[in-house]
Amino acid sequence: MPAEEMSKLTGRTRLIFAASSVVFLVVLAISPFKDFRREWKQYKRSYLRFAQGRADTKKLLADYHPDIDQIWLPEMNVVDRCTTCHQGMTQASLADRAVPRAFRAHPPIPHNVRDWGCTVCHRGQGPATEVAEAHESTLAWEQPILPTRFIQASCGTCHYADLPETPQLTRGRELLAELNCQGCHRLPGIERSAMLGPDLTNIGTKVSREWIYKWLKEPRTIVDKDGNVTVNGYETEEEPRMPKFRLSETELRGLSGYLSIQKAQAVVPYKIDARVVGVWSNNPELISQGELRFRQMFCSTCHSLAVTRAGEIKLIGGDIGPELTKVGSKVNPDWLIAWLRDPQDYLSHTRMPRYGWSDEDLYKVTQYITTKLTDSDLLTGVPQLGQPTEQEIQLGHRLFLEKGCASCHSIQGLNPQKDFGPDLSALGGKNASDLEFGVAKIPHNLVAYIQAKLQDPTSVNAAARMPQYNWNQSDLDAITTALLSMKGPPATSALENLVVPRKKAVFHPMGAFGEVYERYKCYTCHKFNGYGGDLAPDLTYEGSRAQRGWLVEFLKNPQTLRPTLILRMPQFNMTDKEAATLADYMVMVLQHPAANPTRIDAKQFTPAMVALGKQLYEVKYQCQACHTIGGTGGYVGPNLNNAGGWLTAAWIEAWLRNPHALVPNTIEPRRNFTEDEVRALTAYLMTLRQSISPQKTASTNARHVATQGSGR
Amino acid sequence: MRFHVWISVLLVVTLAGTAGCRKHAETAKGDPLLTAYDTEVDWTDAQHVIPLSYEQAQGKRIFYQQCVWCHADATPAGPSNRSNLTPVPPLLNDGATLNAESDEYMLNIVTLGGTAMGKSAMMPPYGRMLSTGEIRSVIAFARAIAQPSYQPPARAGSQYSAK
Repeated sequence: MPAEEMSKLTGRTRLIFAASSVVFLVVLAISPFKDFRREWKQYKRSYLRFAQGRADTKKLLADYHPDIDQIWLPEMNVVDRCTTCHQGMTQASLADRAVPRAFRAHPPIPHNVRDWGCTVCHRGQGPATEVAEAHESTLAWEQPILPTRFIQASCGTCHYADLPETPQLTRGRELLAELNCQGCHRLPGIERSAMLGPDLTNIGTKVSREWIYKWLKEPRTIVDKDGNVTVNGYETEEEPRMPKFRLSETELRGLSGYLSIQKAQAVVPYKIDARVVGVWSNNPELISQGELRFRQMFCSTCHSLAVTRAGEIKLIGGDIGPELTKVGSKVNPDWLIAWLRDPQDYLSHTRMPRYGWSDEDLYKVTQYITTKLTDSDLLTGVPQLGQPTEQEIQLGHRLFLEKGCASCHSIQGLNPQKDFGPDLSALGGKNASDLEFGVAKIPHNLVAYIQAKLQDPTSVNAAARMPQYNWNQSDLDAITTALLSMKGPPATSALENLVVPRKKAVFHPMGAFGEVYERYKCYTCHKFNGYGGDLAPDLTYEGSRAQRGWLVEFLKNPQTLRPTLILRMPQFNMTDKEAATLADYMVMVLQHPAANPTRIDAKQFTPAMVALGKQLYEVKYQCQACHTIGGTGGYVGPNLNNAGGWLTAAWIEAWLRNPHALVPNTIEPRRNFTEDEVRALTAYLMTLRQSISPQKTASTNARHVATQGSGR
Repeated sequence: MRFHVWISVLLVVTLAGTAGCRKHAETAKGDPLLTAYDTEVDWTDAQHVIPLSYEQAQGKRIFYQQCVWCHADATPAGPSNRSNLTPVPPLLNDGATLNAESDEYMLNIVTLGGTAMGKSAMMPPYGRMLSTGEIRSVIAFARAIAQPSYQPPARAGSQYSAK
């Protein structure tokens, strides 16, 4: 434009130019200003100020740089910029609670943040550089930070084997298995046991249609003093595992009708010797004698009974078998006798041992059960149902499959639908957009979804088939943690290599020992080579530990060695031959390489060694803090009154050298004994002997309970 | 009036730009119990639940396996072994006794046992069973549940201070 034309420009145009250049300048300034004000830069500066205000500035700022800090682990899919703001993460001196949370040191954990990144455990968005984007769920990125109370879920993503550091996760996995969630859902690592719910092929021979109706409607029958149907809510582990299904009246009639006709194999009534009945039937002691036998046989090790203690109803006993408070009003008496004599005949994989019953005991105990363990009001409110109609049976048959009953219970000739409920093996990694929230008024995230679904399955899906459970908060959180840990197959091969699989252990010996082992179901309570229950001592190395004579004696007359424990080993009425078979096998096979009883000759122990050992025991090491000898001493370890008659010298020596080599989780700490001290202590302990007095009477048992209660 | 429109459009763009510059993301301060790794009910007040950090929670686990038998009045097995011992060992939450002891002292007595520290031989050494980290976690748990509550020493002498 020629110069004279320029001068022709009106004042208005000049003004426009002036104004817009100012505006453009401002607009240009926005970008550097925004950059300066970025959230992460503010955290950088604020950390700088914070560190400068402390005595250890130099150390805190040793590797400070003002840029974005990133942990990049391509093989693990990790691009984490969290340490950009969380700069004190690895500074041990910032562990203090007084340090602002963003800068506080990470608590010491077995993994180093530089090798693992942050999102592997905490979730959230690694690459994000803004607080909201990194921590919360935004539309674009859907994995919010995992709340700390479920953080153990992240351990479980790689550690399929249980860790001692994560009790909540372990509890959650136990609950999933215990409540038979794997009946309907696919759950990685949770094994589907042989028997989920009982086999119902013969249920019609065991219980009445009315009882089935009642059970389906409300499986919990113990009423506490406030009239609630459950004792302590879910908190008692003895609750039935059967959940509550939401069934209509018609459905209850149909299912109860269908189940009541399941009588594939009639009960063969066992005739108790008429002489026994003759002697006992009119004896006023019959019921109390039956109760006594019930106790002496330690039925309560596996079964619980409701008792009133100090005005409160409590379930006392174990949770391996069903709760029995009202079983007398449930089962057919002929069935009960047949069951007690041979449980495996009715349910081939039940864990109930086959006791050696005498007719007298059988009569007394069954009379006690059918007269005392009853409730005349149990079936109040249940209509008289009579014989089911053809229509009801057909409806019941259909419902049995449709409601998912067949996923846990089998009936001969019925095939359960495979994968009845949704596959949950990748639930823990789902995004909120993959979930159906229905009309539920809950935050749209995975944790809220899982908890709502568990508490009331219909809250997120009105047509849910999942039954109703009754949780307390800590169990709800535990099971949520276990579900969150299941994130599906690892995303990369590097992650796959990190997986710590759960060890599978099996111990099914054959031959004579195998037969007795199966008959008495030893593995229900004891562990053998990692297989079995944990109610009673691990017997993997029992042959190294105990002397053969003691084993035989104990199997025939079990008694407790620990002053604070109530004996829970039932008296099975084993024959001499059975006890000998068990003891022989244990002594031959269940051996630890470090404790070989044949290598030690007891003759080598001299009286001088014994005297030194006693001195060490009583004065130098004061073992009486935890162990009892002759009525004085502590309650923590087993009493040693009969150490010389019970333990092998090889075991005592190996134990004194390193108890954890023999029993990894034992409480006894490993000491620093010299070899001479080990031998002297062994010599002393081997002199302690006491004959095993058979525990025959109830008063012995009562004394145990009394000792327990008084705490003395 | 075209330029007025221009200016106002530019102004709107500018304002919109600056407004988008920063959004406040205050994360809600949650209940400490919900952000805790684990909790422990105050031994002297059942209504008071104490939040535990990861380290304290590990200490709690080890305490309930190893120490509870003699340093608590109730144990998983029922009665406590405390009354069998002379001298009677302190409860783990006994702040009146333990608050005065330094972390180093506590670490030593657990690691080396009572005899080594001139105390009762009934306290066995745990140094060959528990790692230093595990013993420190038990001390952290003791500090968390102490009644009266534990005040860490002034920074100068504290284990956290780095010179």
